[in-house]
Amino acid sequence: MLIHIDMDEFFAAVETLDHPELAGKAVIVGGNPQGRGVVSTANYAARRFGVHSAMPMAQAIRLCPQAVVRRGRMARYQEISSQIHAIFARYTPEIEPLSLDEAFLGISGSEKLFGSPVQIGRRIKQDIQTELGLIASVGVAPTKFIAKIASDLDKPDGFVFVAPEQVQDFLDPLPVARLWGVGKVTGAVFERLGIRTIGQVRQQSPQLMQRYFGNMGAHLLELANGIDPRPVVSERQAKSISNETTFPIDVVDAEVLRAKLMGLCEQVSGRLRQQGLKGRTVQLKLRYPDFQTLSRARRLPQASDHTDEIWQTCWQLFRDNWRAGQAIRLIGMGMSGLDEAAPATSRQADLFTAPQKQHLQVIDTITDDIQSRYGHHALQRGTSLRSQRTLSEKLKPKAK
Amino acid sequence: MKLSFSRETILKPLQIVSGVVEKRQTSPILSNLLLQVSSGKLSLTGTDLEVQMFATVDIDSSDSGEITLPARKFVDICKSLPDNAQIQLSIDADKALIKSGRSRFSLTTLPANEYPSLDNIESNFSFEVSQNQLKRLIEQTQFSMAQQDVRYYLNGMLFEISANGLNTVATDGHRLAISHQEMAINITETRQIIIPRKGVLEIVRLLDDSDTPVIVTLSSNHVRLQLPDVSFISKLIDGKFPDYQQVIPRLDGTRIICSRALLHQAFSRASILSNEKYRGMRISFSENLIRATVHNPEQEEAEEEIEVEYHGEEFEIGFNVSYLLDALNAVKTEDAELYFTDSNHSCLICGVGDVKSRYVVMPMRL
Repeated sequence: MLIHIDMDEFFAAVETLDHPELAGKAVIVGGNPQGRGVVSTANYAARRFGVHSAMPMAQAIRLCPQAVVRRGRMARYQEISSQIHAIFARYTPEIEPLSLDEAFLGISGSEKLFGSPVQIGRRIKQDIQTELGLIASVGVAPTKFIAKIASDLDKPDGFVFVAPEQVQDFLDPLPVARLWGVGKVTGAVFERLGIRTIGQVRQQSPQLMQRYFGNMGAHLLELANGIDPRPVVSERQAKSISNETTFPIDVVDAEVLRAKLMGLCEQVSGRLRQQGLKGRTVQLKLRYPDFQTLSRARRLPQASDHTDEIWQTCWQLFRDNWRAGQAIRLIGMGMSGLDEAAPATSRQADLFTAPQKQHLQVIDTITDDIQSRYGHHALQRGTSLRSQRTLSEKLKPKAK
Repeated sequence: MKLSFSRETILKPLQIVSGVVEKRQTSPILSNLLLQVSSGKLSLTGTDLEVQMFATVDIDSSDSGEITLPARKFVDICKSLPDNAQIQLSIDADKALIKSGRSRFSLTTLPANEYPSLDNIESNFSFEVSQNQLKRLIEQTQFSMAQQDVRYYLNGMLFEISANGLNTVATDGHRLAISHQEMAINITETRQIIIPRKGVLEIVRLLDDSDTPVIVTLSSNHVRLQLPDVSFISKLIDGKFPDYQQVIPRLDGTRIICSRALLHQAFSRASILSNEKYRGMRISFSENLIRATVHNPEQEEAEEEIEVEYHGEEFEIGFNVSYLLDALNAVKTEDAELYFTDSNHSCLICGVGDVKSRYVVMPMRL
């Protein structure tokens, strides 16, 4: 059994929590309405007007002009998110975060200590509400796929438990779009075949599924039968840690790209250090306006968690793969090869840390300390600040 | 070329010389030994291009000549003949014929002039040290040498030669061992050489507890050691050894004194349940008592309490227990002293009243 926890209207709820005067009002948290900014979260009051996440901000404001619009305060959400994680961690070490406000929890080892899966789910939901004043929706089920549907089914303030013997009854009436991997295209194929519910999918032959959906067919059939063997993977066992960002407008300015990339390196290496991990391979990802995506990787001589070391390699990788003047839509970087640094060597102190490295370590430790107390924006490398400034200048409406 | 010798005369030098021959080589001749005979002496040479071992024995022959033979096979043949067997060796065309009693062996050979040589080192300096002193210096430190570290200069032992004596230093980056032998050496400027790991292990095999002198000769990239019947040459590691002085804590700070044997026994009992890979052990200090605890992934645990002489604050520190055991094993005095600063800094271990050998161990976060 496992648990899926999804915070209700998370960013908007945090805004309301910090600004009680917003209670009862429509709140939209999202990007800049002048650029490509989209809605990150709208609370239920705003959703009534048809506002939903991923909708362009400009459109959202047209639909719900009375809404209070907030730019996201990621540092604050991050802070609350780690408080939520601290609550999870009381009940289980197996935490697989999907985003700031969503996570899978493996509880197989916790049942003896904390009771049945339902009891654990209830306690976590209760703890979050009493301690943080936030509402979570909880799904408890035998597999990830079902738990995720379950937490969504009765939102907001939902709690849905699906026992192993109830799986089929639970899945069968649901529309096919609930199956993971069914989007517009696959959805249309099901539509043509006259298949509307998961129960109908289950009755199809593997041959038919293979014919219409290729290799995905078998997978969809398994899901429809409630089979989903994926285990909960906590970040400690993660294979890589990465971060990426889509620019509000395509960027050709080398300085902005450099600044954004440095910001990503700071975040990713900070997460490595937080998890006590080191990575051996630096990965770079660039997406061009035509959605073509380039991925490149480079190995470090030794596994590292130093921001500066990772940044130097990442920047070199970028320079080797980017032509001046090339427009970039998305930039991302990550670290993999996390298992290549034996924990022994990272915990065993060194006699001769190169003075250079010692210096880096001091910088990283102080940065982590300040950021954990005052948020990510409290202390950043100068270069990584520049991207926000340059971009916000570009996005300012031109004076007439 | 014909010669004759007894099994006992040749066995020991043969084993010493063949010891440096590697099992796998880049060229066939490196699996051979070079045999040279002239004026009643047989010289044996083995090499792997990094080190070279050379030994001579008196034999019964007026011939002269040279040849190379497969080392491993030649040694195994001599070794497996009965005690005190008399062995005849003769070279005929490209075969070497070995006869002893009713045994006969015919071995392939390769010409001697193809045998690589490290010899003729441009010497500019030499000094003498007694075998037992050199042996002690190496034995006290060799266990701390790195193995196949990317910092290639740690895969060996530092010999520091100065006017007031000889230091050996070995470190793998986590712990360090240093030993000092006071002696007068005619040198004005201190010299540092790094002998590769294999060379160090070969040298220590050569030495015994006598005070026969060893002549050590240095060139810019080789070192030669000469004993009465054996000489050994090693290439030096071309690199800069880290500034070891800087990482040796001074003899102040918090000190505990304890019977070396008691401490060693307690730690080694505790280590039975330590994590096989990481070997972590936690030590907590209180008035005249230390407590060592270990855990492993199977949730087993061991705890040892040891009475020691300690007056200071209570604190805790973690170590790789193997490093502590190695150091305590090398301490030769009845009681050992351990110096600590705090849980983030190294520990210094030495014998009470004997600071000739000192051991520095970095802690581990547990």
